[in-house]
Amino acid sequence: MQHIELMAPAGNFESLQAALDNGANSVYFGVEQLNMRARATVNFTIDDLPEIARRCEAKNVRTYLTLNTIIYDHDLSIVKTLIKQAKATKITAVIAMDQAVIAMARELDMEVHISTQVNVTNIETVKFYALFADTMVLSRELSLRQVKKITDAIEKEQIKGPNGNLVEIEIFGHGALCMAVSGKCYMSLHAYNSSANRGACKQNCRKKYTVVDQETGFEMELDNEYIMSPKDLCTIDFLDEIVDAGIKVLKIEGRGRAPEYVAKVIKCYRDAIDSVADGTYDKAKVITWMQELEKVYNRGFWSGYYLGQKLGEWSNGSGSHATQKKVYIGKGTHFYPKSQIGEFKIEAFDVAVGDTILITGPTTGAQEMEVEEFMVNDIKSDKATKGDTLTIPLKFRVRPSDKLYKIVENKVEA
Amino acid sequence: MVIITLQRNKCIGCNYCVEMAPQQFQMSKKDGKTVLLHGQDKKGFFTLKSNDYAILEPCENAAKACPVNIISVKNN
Repeated sequence: MQHIELMAPAGNFESLQAALDNGANSVYFGVEQLNMRARATVNFTIDDLPEIARRCEAKNVRTYLTLNTIIYDHDLSIVKTLIKQAKATKITAVIAMDQAVIAMARELDMEVHISTQVNVTNIETVKFYALFADTMVLSRELSLRQVKKITDAIEKEQIKGPNGNLVEIEIFGHGALCMAVSGKCYMSLHAYNSSANRGACKQNCRKKYTVVDQETGFEMELDNEYIMSPKDLCTIDFLDEIVDAGIKVLKIEGRGRAPEYVAKVIKCYRDAIDSVADGTYDKAKVITWMQELEKVYNRGFWSGYYLGQKLGEWSNGSGSHATQKKVYIGKGTHFYPKSQIGEFKIEAFDVAVGDTILITGPTTGAQEMEVEEFMVNDIKSDKATKGDTLTIPLKFRVRPSDKLYKIVENKVEA
Repeated sequence: MVIITLQRNKCIGCNYCVEMAPQQFQMSKKDGKTVLLHGQDKKGFFTLKSNDYAILEPCENAAKACPVNIISVKNN
């Protein structure tokens, strides 16, 4: 059975490192304003490209730059600059929607991947974009049967991209689903002047709405209050069928998510893909992975339209259904390399032996572990509280930019 | 005095400020972000002080339209 590529989101260096540490085969990320997470408070800049490429190349991980917003005339120059810089720093490919971006990338001999916003749904469209692109994301509304027809046809008709290889098909495997065509929605623009198509979606579809009868003024709350807010896509429980559909790349959504989200989701899907490949994929493993996935941000899970038989399933809350959350405890202050001891200053809350902690940082990524022992102010102790200096044995270096969190149970609203 | 401030590094290049106040804002063809015309740069914050009260309303509209809230307008 073929091995598929696991593609991870990277919104910042913490998430990038978490993706690399947990077995991603490729990462996608945006720089500057022209990506679907333009509103994010932390975004990579063009100057970060060499460091991203360096870290990924060291682990043989492919790198994809998202340039998938709508493009205005005033953007054309920066688009060219970004593609040139991506090419110079050996970024693998750009993910594009706009024809100008596709044309510019081809002109500069940069590999192009067709983004989900293009909404590829049939083999003739695949043929058309094969003139410019080596990989294409299929529309999220296709069933796996339809996906397989397309991948079979690519093989049969030998549809090749500019690099001379058969066109690779990518699908979304996990994460948020849009009510509208992903990134092709005016709802946020109408309500807040904040265009999703420029990466500035305010997610107002995620809210609760009331229907009003215009004639009588009668107001009605729908039985399912979050009718425009789909649950998150999760495919780990039928990943064998996904692989059988002949796709080459499985994309995980979540560039706005925290690094521990990336770490957890990528780790689960890495295990699942490897299990499918070596024939050990079974129900018991699926149950364990699902429990792990439920710990991090989610709006409830469903299988999207891949299995064909279900209508949309809607979230029953505006926030996350994650069973766990992190609480900030303190920051990294020192690392003693000889004895492999990390030192932290506790700034809030407290932490005890037996707690699960999370350490995040631009180079550290997201490292989660149970605390077996530690010292407080140089004395062995079971509990540390605000103001204490905590030292703990660690297998990795702690840096001043690192943050220490405690993982606690999250009470999910019914 | 009208004081307009733009935190330029957070601009997502949506062009709405130009639509609202074309006399004060212009999109840069170099980096695709907005430029506050005649603004003085101080660590990425561009400020324009003006006694021309005609610019007040268009700039307030630009500030309102900005999806990332990086334009502020004061009337002192």
